Amino acid sequence: MNGIEQETIDGCAVIRLQGEVDLSWSQQVRDAVLAALGKNARVGVELSDVSYIDSSGIAALVEGFQHARSKGTGFALVAVSDAVRAVLELARLDRVFPIVATVQDVPATTSVPATKP
Amino acid sequence: MNSRAAKVTPMAAVSEARALAFLADLSETLAVSLDLRQTLSEAVNRIADFMDAEAASLFLLDEDGDMLECRVCVGPVDITGLRIPLGQGVVGRAVADNRSQVVADATTDERVDRSNDSDTGFVTRSLLCAPLATAKGPIGALEVINKRSGGSFSADDAEILRLVAAPTSLAINNARMANELVQQARMKREFDLARRMQKSLLPKRRRDGFPLLGVNLPAHEISGDFYDYFDLPDGRIGFFIGDVSGKGLDAALLMVRVASLLRWVGKEGTPPSEWLVRVNEELCESSLDGRFVCALVGQCDRNAEYVDIAAAGFPPAMLYRQGEFTEFLSGGAPLGILAGMSFEGQHIDMRGASLYCFSDGVTDVRDAQRRTIGSEGVRALISRHAGASAEPRLRGMFSELKHLRLVDDTTLLLIERMHAHGPEVLLKRRFPARAEEMREIRSLLRGALDDAGIERDSRDKLVLAVDEACCNIIRHAYGPKDSGDIHLRVTMDAGVLEFRLLDSAPAVDPQCVRAKPLGECRSGGLGIALIDTVMDEWIMRGSPDGCGNRLIMRKRIDVNSNNGEDRE
Repeated sequence: MNGIEQETIDGCAVIRLQGEVDLSWSQQVRDAVLAALGKNARVGVELSDVSYIDSSGIAALVEGFQHARSKGTGFALVAVSDAVRAVLELARLDRVFPIVATVQDVPATTSVPATKP
Repeated sequence: MNSRAAKVTPMAAVSEARALAFLADLSETLAVSLDLRQTLSEAVNRIADFMDAEAASLFLLDEDGDMLECRVCVGPVDITGLRIPLGQGVVGRAVADNRSQVVADATTDERVDRSNDSDTGFVTRSLLCAPLATAKGPIGALEVINKRSGGSFSADDAEILRLVAAPTSLAINNARMANELVQQARMKREFDLARRMQKSLLPKRRRDGFPLLGVNLPAHEISGDFYDYFDLPDGRIGFFIGDVSGKGLDAALLMVRVASLLRWVGKEGTPPSEWLVRVNEELCESSLDGRFVCALVGQCDRNAEYVDIAAAGFPPAMLYRQGEFTEFLSGGAPLGILAGMSFEGQHIDMRGASLYCFSDGVTDVRDAQRRTIGSEGVRALISRHAGASAEPRLRGMFSELKHLRLVDDTTLLLIERMHAHGPEVLLKRRFPARAEEMREIRSLLRGALDDAGIERDSRDKLVLAVDEACCNIIRHAYGPKDSGDIHLRVTMDAGVLEFRLLDSAPAVDPQCVRAKPLGECRSGGLGIALIDTVMDEWIMRGSPDGCGNRLIMRKRIDVNSNNGEDRE
């Protein structure tokens, strides 16, 4: 089922999403990501348990990434599931987002400008 | 050389340092080499200089591995192209034994073949030869002849030549592998072109009750299987299916010839037995190099009530009528073997039945235990899918075959009365335009696409695109103020999936709905871009009375390599 969990691991705020991220609750995802970015120096969005994501879900992640970049906050997508990766590739955003394997790999800052692949 | 360093004299230590520098330098040149011929020629020159030799040469084994040929040489006599049998002379022996050869006095040494000297006037006094080898074995040899300062080559000289041989072998091996890769890439391009050419030779799907449906699934890049159908002067339909023995380019080329020959003879409406006789005579006039052709030819009326067939070494045609199978064995031997043969024809009452003609690739499909499924397996496969109408039935059968192990090209021609029915409806649903509905719609859509035999990756992308389209209707057409329903209809027709979405929201100006470039890091406009990427085409139309919109998205599905639009 759909859900958002939050915890802090090694000084990094982790937002763990579960289920199918779609229009029905992507606004909540957006709010949770932006709120975490407002309070923490490092934020990772964990996506290993996400079986579907639509463009509104991707948009929430894009907003988070842009916010982190403007503030220099560390931000990354963590443990991206195959389903999410397929959509990121389709949208050609797989090389725009910082994607890492574990929470420990979330960078301390986001300063590199997004580049087109 | 380090092991000997302790006991050498200062003079030898100087020459050893020089040798090391030379080796390092040469290795580097060889390692960065792009043009092997030039690099080897330069290397052999430098080896001759460094070793103070009058002449030096490099021999390589030919492809058969029994002759050595001089590829590079420096010195007063050009022996490039000289060929020496493996095992003969100093060079032949070095390669055969994979051991360095040291000849202190060439005038008396029985290993030396002096015939070349007497031809050229060159006198070989002393020589050294080291084999060139890779992990796979010897590939050639390096030879230096006559010390300029007189005397013979020392044990140190032999050691240096042996050491020089290693990077030389490596460079030759690298260049060969690089060349092989280039060749492979070129071959792959050629094969891709050939495959596309072959695909284009197969007839396109015809609708409106055309009683034939063919599927071809090549096991390799190119196929030896073929089928075709065409209209006959008397209004009936001629068809054939065949299989050329062997695989690869030669089989494919023969296939092209046989398919056009069968078409040419069949177009006139020649009865099936006579049709095969004429093609067989023509094929037997020229040698097929031991190849032969299995084929089944036939004619039927538009309603597929009666079919006449004749077969040459082709697997039995299977007639299926209400759970019962009848097999029609081939009436003659394969084509292209013996002239003057006859082929027995069969007249089949097809009313209420389906005729399956398939290449042996179908019966040769392997199950999980690697056993061929055989005729029994094919009967079971047909029975399992018998309930479905022709197109989804073949799609279902081939989707099942694909999950087994295809070892050969697999081709099937189905003949049966086909009703000119509309497109097959995979899913029809009306639901409230609310985001909360979409989870269930996606789930229904996945199920419907699975049933239609769509591969998982394509399925997920299609589901995403439909979801995006629905979300756009929810967010932008109805918006927060309006509410209403969405009608979704998914159909499949001649290999094209069509998704139709209707709403009753205020008309949206289609000009405002445009795909934006992907890969840009921004949060809006992604939905349409995804639809645009996933679908082959999409059309949006507002309804003329200003209420309601219609979105049609289409995607061609490659279940069969040959699901095209009508050709005729």
